[in-house]
Amino acid sequence: MNNTPINLRIKFKKVGTLQYISHLDLVRTMHKIVTRARLPLWYTEGFNPKPKMVFAAPLSIGTESVCEFMDLRLSERCDTEWAIRSLNENMTDELVVLDAYYPETKHTDLKWLGYTIEIDTLGASADLADRCNAAFLSESIRVNKKAKLGGAEMEIKPLIKSAVAEYRDGRIYLECILSADASAFLNPEYVVKYLKGSVGILSSENLFSEGYSIFRHSAYKGDMSPFA
Amino acid sequence: MKLMETPHISSILKSIEKPGRYIGGEYNRIMKDVDAVKCRFAFAFPDTYEIGMSNLGVRILYDVLNKDPDVWCERVYAPWTDMLEKMKEYSIPLTTQESGDELGCFDLIGFSLQYELCYTTALAMMKMAGIPIFTKDREESCPIIIGGGPCVYNPEPIADFFDVINVGEGEEVLLEICHLYIDMKERGEYTRAAFLRAASGIEGVYVPSLYDVIYNDDGTIREFVPKYDELPRRIKKRIIEDLDTVSYPEKLVMPYIETVHDRIVLEIYRGCIRGCRFCQAGMVYRPIREKSPEVLSKCARCLYDSTGYDEISLISLSISDYSKLRELTDSLLEWTDEANVSLSLPSLRIDSFSEELMQKVSSVRTGGITFAPEAGTQRLRDVINKNVTEEDLMRSVGIAFRGGKSNVKLYFMNGLPTETEEDIKGIADLAGSVVREYYRMPKEERPRGVGVTISVSCFVPKPFTPFQWEKQDSYETLMEKQEYLKACITDRKKIRYTYHDAKVSRLEAVFARGDRRLAPAIALAVEEGMIFDAWEEYFDYDKWVDIFARCGIDIDFYTTRGFALDEVLPWDIIDCGVTKEFLLRERERAYAEKTTPSCKEHCNGCGANKLGGKNRWCPQWHGKGGDEE
Ligand code: SF4
Repeated sequence: MNNTPINLRIKFKKVGTLQYISHLDLVRTMHKIVTRARLPLWYTEGFNPKPKMVFAAPLSIGTESVCEFMDLRLSERCDTEWAIRSLNENMTDELVVLDAYYPETKHTDLKWLGYTIEIDTLGASADLADRCNAAFLSESIRVNKKAKLGGAEMEIKPLIKSAVAEYRDGRIYLECILSADASAFLNPEYVVKYLKGSVGILSSENLFSEGYSIFRHSAYKGDMSPFA
Repeated sequence: MKLMETPHISSILKSIEKPGRYIGGEYNRIMKDVDAVKCRFAFAFPDTYEIGMSNLGVRILYDVLNKDPDVWCERVYAPWTDMLEKMKEYSIPLTTQESGDELGCFDLIGFSLQYELCYTTALAMMKMAGIPIFTKDREESCPIIIGGGPCVYNPEPIADFFDVINVGEGEEVLLEICHLYIDMKERGEYTRAAFLRAASGIEGVYVPSLYDVIYNDDGTIREFVPKYDELPRRIKKRIIEDLDTVSYPEKLVMPYIETVHDRIVLEIYRGCIRGCRFCQAGMVYRPIREKSPEVLSKCARCLYDSTGYDEISLISLSISDYSKLRELTDSLLEWTDEANVSLSLPSLRIDSFSEELMQKVSSVRTGGITFAPEAGTQRLRDVINKNVTEEDLMRSVGIAFRGGKSNVKLYFMNGLPTETEEDIKGIADLAGSVVREYYRMPKEERPRGVGVTISVSCFVPKPFTPFQWEKQDSYETLMEKQEYLKACITDRKKIRYTYHDAKVSRLEAVFARGDRRLAPAIALAVEEGMIFDAWEEYFDYDKWVDIFARCGIDIDFYTTRGFALDEVLPWDIIDCGVTKEFLLRERERAYAEKTTPSCKEHCNGCGANKLGGKNRWCPQWHGKGGDEE
């Protein structure tokens, strides 16, 4: 039964409280969803056959997204409209399939990802937004890779296509496009971390007085045309 | 305030381990309209989300309660200590997974008490919810606190903390409790006192506050005195009559994060025909009642469709005793192979391990293999009624080796009644024989790298077993025995030796055999922040010793003291079906080194057949202690 598998690409969103589910747990969850949805799955061979799925640019905990891509191997073609319906009947409202199609691109064609970072920090103001923008103009943008001080520093400037801060309704909104390349993936947390260090946002000890959320909303190919 | 709606909750969730434990929202969870239900029930599990989500009892009762349109049952688990700290620091209350409402606004809260060392966690959860831990301190508006699960076969150590104790299987009792609550509320007759008194009339319900306990001068119990005439003298355990017709979940709440038993669990039967003399489960779940392969097979298929799990685990106390095991596995294999679903078995008896089973069951096919001879010599195995011979073990490990397994794990118990040095040495010898069995195979057929692990736990005398009166070895004696065993193992390369902490077993014995006078100590422990005693990193024996001392409690009274055969036992208030006469008979046979045949061979008159039950091995009940030999 193991003929050549067919690749079905699933575009989905993972939002709300599901941002706290790790990538590994998402994979486990997806296994069960595609099984329940009765898609014609292609299974890996061996002792413990599993459906095969590959994710593009996995999310880290604490990031919501409306443009996630997963390639699922099928044993035969199925109607994509039916696949979408069937998958969504087996998901919750925070994990939803937006589209399913037989793709022309490869995951490696995905080069950039667009994010909105909403920052609720003490002292938020138009002036603070300006200071953030100035910080992005710096020659070099270096962040510490480790949680604690003293770890190796990393230069992330080339991994930032664009980053613009704006002050609105008491908050700082950061629009940025960051590298999604598998070999040079930039976690948006590092951008926040950079601003913490350089501009001094989010410095309160009280976890309830400040906070930020990260939202992935768009995906691009190398020439900045939309990735699909 | 609901947890997920708290501003900046993300700052907290990102600062702790596994935030997925706290978010709720799982697929297949049951949501209801608060205004459309008459009774809100919170099912509380006093351990982590991963452990609680794996518990079969919770899965069953969650389903049963929610099938009733008048009741909404939600789940709540103990937050891990990192979250607990944040909750304290930022005054975040304990809330349920479904609605996210605070526990205080529920009508009834049911705690699943699976092991003795969860008591402090259960009480800590009440505290987090702002509910006084002592029954007597609870106000009218407080939820009714119910306790159930295996621990409540001796409910006395926690009697002062629980309003209601559910003794036995909960499917029917919990619904009856809910409906009593609803009826009394609707008729305007509800007060805590009136409700508790009325609830005591439900079969299988114990309301500890309605009984006084009088003690003798020597500290033993003189008697239980019911406060009202109508109260039962002993509380008879409830069982489900017919497991084929009782409700079983058609779907399971699907955790997003990985849990301990992340799979479909099929309960094959309840009870046990064996009667190992140290085993509480083997006694208190009697009489054995089987489910039919047809019902199980249908149920498995239905759960597969609704969950997408790729593993089905068949569970019961000793799976190979199921009389229709072949029919069941054959009918499951009809579709599971095709669907890439594997079967697994958590428990295997040495005497029934076969090549056939090894072929059918993947958990046996892959990974190591575990057997539980429990004792090192035939003499001691006869004492504990583990009807397994060295020959059986050698035959089983032979099959395992030929099947390509090279790692065998053997479970034993130290400190069993009548144990001698010879028995301990026997453990090492048995492991040595297993290694020799490996080398008896022709070289080309041997799997590579034989390894035998001896895992030794300490005997804890448990209520409702023939050994309930026995003393536990002192800590020093248990340590000496462990050292002696270590010295007996000569082949350190092939034989690995691991043992349980004897201090844990000692505390377990205190709680297992304790009475109401332990309550102040448990309360003090909770007051001083003790929680998760079952977790090695939080188990603090010295602190417990200190707490007991401060409360004037002598631990030896409950552990190293043999209980007199005519003593009133703390758990005498419970009737679990099995009679004291039977347990005494079994105790005598133990000392005579005589085994007792399984219920399959003939009925030994344990008395559990008086409880009823369909599809069982027992003879009909004729008003006495079962059919005598
Ligand atoms: S009544 Fe007889 S057959 Fe039934 S559980 Fe007891 S000993 Fe076994």
